[in-house]
Amino acid sequence: MLLSVKNLKMHYKTKMGYVRAVDSISFDLDSGEGLGIVGESGCGKTSVSMTILRLLPDNAEFKGGEVLFDNGNGEPVNLVSLAESEMRRYRWKGISMIFQAAMNSLNPVYKVGDQIVEAIQNHFPDTPTDVAKKKVAELFRLVGLDPTRMEQYPHQYSGGMKQRAVIAMALSCDPRIIIADEPTTALDVIVQDRILREIRAIQKKLNMAMIYISHDIAVIAEVSDRIAVMYAGKFVELADSVTIFKRPMHPYTYGLMHAFPSVTGKKVDLVTIPGEPPDLLAPPRGCRFYPRCPKGDKLCEEKDPEYVEVDKGHFLACHHPVQPGEVVQFNAE
Amino acid sequence: MLKFFSKRIVQIVILLFIYVTIVYWLMEAMPGSFTDKYLMNPKITPEIRQNLAKQFGLDKPAFTRYLYYMKNFLKLDLGISFSYFPKKVSSLIFERLPRTVFLFVTATLVSYILGYNLGKRAAWRRGKILDKTATFVGIVFWTIFLPLLAIFNIWLFGVILKILPLNQFINPNVWRETNLSAQNIFLKLLLNAFIFLVVMMISLIFAQRVKTVAAKRTIVLLSAVVTLSVSIILWTSTGLGIYALDIILHMVLPVFTLTLYSFAGSMLVMRDTMLEVVREDYVVTAKAKGLPDRVVRDKHAARNALLPLITNFVISLGFTLSGGIITETMFSWPGLGRAYLEALNSQDTPLLIGLLVFTGIFVLLAHLIADVLYAFLDPRIRY
Amino acid sequence: MTEQSETIVQEPLWKIKLRLWLKEFKRNWALFRERKIAIFGLSVIIFFAVFGIIYPLYPTIMKNVFWKDDIISYETFTPYDPIIGFDPNIFDHPSPPSLVHPLGTDPLGRDVLSMVMYSTPREFVLGITAALITVVIGTIIGASSAYYGGVVDTFFMRLADIVMLFPSLAILMVLSAFIELTLFRLALIIGILAGFGSITIVLKAQALTVKVRPFIEAAKSTGASDAYIILKHIIPNILPLSFLYMMLNVTGAIFTEAVLSFLGLANIRMSWGVIIHMAESSGYLMGSSIGTYWWLWVPAGACITLLCSAFYFLGRGLEEIVNPRLRKR
Repeated sequence: MLLSVKNLKMHYKTKMGYVRAVDSISFDLDSGEGLGIVGESGCGKTSVSMTILRLLPDNAEFKGGEVLFDNGNGEPVNLVSLAESEMRRYRWKGISMIFQAAMNSLNPVYKVGDQIVEAIQNHFPDTPTDVAKKKVAELFRLVGLDPTRMEQYPHQYSGGMKQRAVIAMALSCDPRIIIADEPTTALDVIVQDRILREIRAIQKKLNMAMIYISHDIAVIAEVSDRIAVMYAGKFVELADSVTIFKRPMHPYTYGLMHAFPSVTGKKVDLVTIPGEPPDLLAPPRGCRFYPRCPKGDKLCEEKDPEYVEVDKGHFLACHHPVQPGEVVQFNAE
Repeated sequence: MLKFFSKRIVQIVILLFIYVTIVYWLMEAMPGSFTDKYLMNPKITPEIRQNLAKQFGLDKPAFTRYLYYMKNFLKLDLGISFSYFPKKVSSLIFERLPRTVFLFVTATLVSYILGYNLGKRAAWRRGKILDKTATFVGIVFWTIFLPLLAIFNIWLFGVILKILPLNQFINPNVWRETNLSAQNIFLKLLLNAFIFLVVMMISLIFAQRVKTVAAKRTIVLLSAVVTLSVSIILWTSTGLGIYALDIILHMVLPVFTLTLYSFAGSMLVMRDTMLEVVREDYVVTAKAKGLPDRVVRDKHAARNALLPLITNFVISLGFTLSGGIITETMFSWPGLGRAYLEALNSQDTPLLIGLLVFTGIFVLLAHLIADVLYAFLDPRIRY
Repeated sequence: MTEQSETIVQEPLWKIKLRLWLKEFKRNWALFRERKIAIFGLSVIIFFAVFGIIYPLYPTIMKNVFWKDDIISYETFTPYDPIIGFDPNIFDHPSPPSLVHPLGTDPLGRDVLSMVMYSTPREFVLGITAALITVVIGTIIGASSAYYGGVVDTFFMRLADIVMLFPSLAILMVLSAFIELTLFRLALIIGILAGFGSITIVLKAQALTVKVRPFIEAAKSTGASDAYIILKHIIPNILPLSFLYMMLNVTGAIFTEAVLSFLGLANIRMSWGVIIHMAESSGYLMGSSIGTYWWLWVPAGACITLLCSAFYFLGRGLEEIVNPRLRKR
């Protein structure tokens, strides 16, 4: 297993109390695999990736769990318990990241090429600058950028080009895993689609593992082998993409799947899930989806359902899973 | 680029013209004149006074004199001082200028280096003890009554600790035996400081090219030590060292006072800008790239916080004359500020106008240099 | 339904506004209270306000405690008058602090504490008047420049450039030669000079961000006049920033007055700066006298510094409320 996250808990400390942004998250990731994490904004998706890379603000606190990363030589290391200076070696070289706001993740005062060279030379200090530059040129070609643009500044790039440059940067140290956090949100739809396909192609070509994070299930579906559905700081369902689409078992997943129109599929009624996600400062005692769930009952109110493997490779946290063929009625207000 | 700067220079010339005009008429509006000072002097009869007035051109109508002044100003001639007759205003200014410049450049450099370093550290460790103390102490010194600080420092270092000379520019006892001019030694000292600065700049630029932090530090330290020891050897071998040391010792207290007073200005600007910059995504990216904390802070965050610091620096240059008046009075330092106060007391209008105009040109030039620096520091700014 | 809406209308508008304002105030107060530095500033300001207000009590108390047996000389010499007072019972003035004169006397035999207390409200008046003038000018010009743009904007921005060229202290020194710089005039001049300077540029930048907001367009489309939009929509939105600058300008005004008085150039009979000027001009700030006669400069100097930094601290505390970008998440 390349990456194995077990019961990861990370809370933000605020004046009003703890915000349970990441609450007992577990998943595994194999090499060459694409895992999608989907959820509404504010459900803690980004916090998961930031917790894995330990790029958290001062008020974040680990509350338990481990992140086991296999760096290819022997025992996997637990990233959570590493010293900061040790952790630095795993960032980018082990796990790199394509950030949510690619527009702003390039430093405006340095040339784009130099910023990538910096990353390479940081992890491979013996690389001469011209060799590093050659590598950057290669990466630029790989992501579809003109290598001469290396000598330009970020403001001379268009949005899509910046996104490609950020992808090239993420690939620069040959990471084993890339986390792509909403990699295309800021782009227009056509560019979005093209870049997604390219990311996927590169991933397959280089046989890297990838974690895609998005609020858009259509985007996730396009690039992932498996999909995890996240709700209010927890994973509620995880299965391979086909299963998630064909046979969602959690009412929330069911709602999500029916919340967008399918162009090719049969005509179905669009579903909206009434209500708001819970306040992570004081989440419901039992199941976090209970206040919005049409199938919720006493048990759901009292007891938080456990996250267990219900089928081979199909994880679920629900007391009353949606049965095959069942139609769940969400009462819109 | 050329278009922008030619436009900017035209703007500056117009601004300067308006400024000189306002300054001129402001001085003209001052009641009394230089010759009135001799009103009570029985030796100077009304005839002589009239003659004096004629000599200085004070008998002509004000507007004619204004035109004369402007004509001379275009020839870079600031006129002749009344109280130091027949010295030219420009030569007076250039005699005093190095002293003020040396005082303020040293204090400003030290306080900006201090402010930059403290500010970035305070913001990086926001809310920690360094941040809190630096902000508190900084604001207290920033808002302190400057004469109070000067009096206190004179008392502490001059009277109680007795380690620094009280005030004045030089110690007469040291200079009695020699016929060297203090100004001469001082200019040499200034040249020395300038060479030192240039060497440091070159070594800093050179240090940028090497990779490891240790190598960078060695280069900078080595060049500093070598230049300093060479200059010390030169000074002592020529036997001028003792005089130079005397001047330096007299400078320590005013420079220290000014630095204490002004470092907070740059520190607070640096801190506030850094607080905004550290939220930028590229700072997180830099961290995610696995760069060491120090590199993220200095190369990615602090570098982007430099622009407002430059603006602050330019604005603070406008303070030089005002600050000079206070500091130079407190430490009896014969610089531009003292000259201004003396000129005001003796109604030496040409010198007053000259000093104000000179400050104006100085500030405007600083604005222009800031524009160049902006373009140099931020690739997004292209004129 | 109709009944309900009528009852809502019946509540006068000012009450709703007051409630909204109170709510906003409570929220900001909570933010403000977190800033220990701002609380410190506010406390010092309140301390000085009280210190100044209770001044009239001071001579009365001293009279009843120490001068009961000597009412005649008290009446003749008024030893606690800050300007013409004199203590006839002490031969060597300045005299060090004692019970009768808690902060000693100055070279003219006046009570230092009395002078310091007497000056306090005057410093407040000066600082706040000057800052108020600055902010009123800066806000109106900043808002109009941003709203009208074009010639108005160019004119005031170039004017600001020129005003910023003048070294303010040096110019005030020249002005002191032909204007009697009384307290009020000084406040007026400081206020005006600062008002046309850098503050207009800052406030204009802020007003520009307000100008492009949709409600300005909405107000325009309802046919509101320019003056109405500036007064009712733009100015209220830049007011918090103006208020912040007001606090910072109080510091500047008090400092400038102190320096001018210290150099003996202002025509002010008594202020903290005048107290130090007195000590300096009579030669008590030379060499070892500095330490011996500390009460001549320490109390006044400390007061100037404390009040100046208090307003600055307060301003910085407010800055985090006004400028959310500085807030800690």
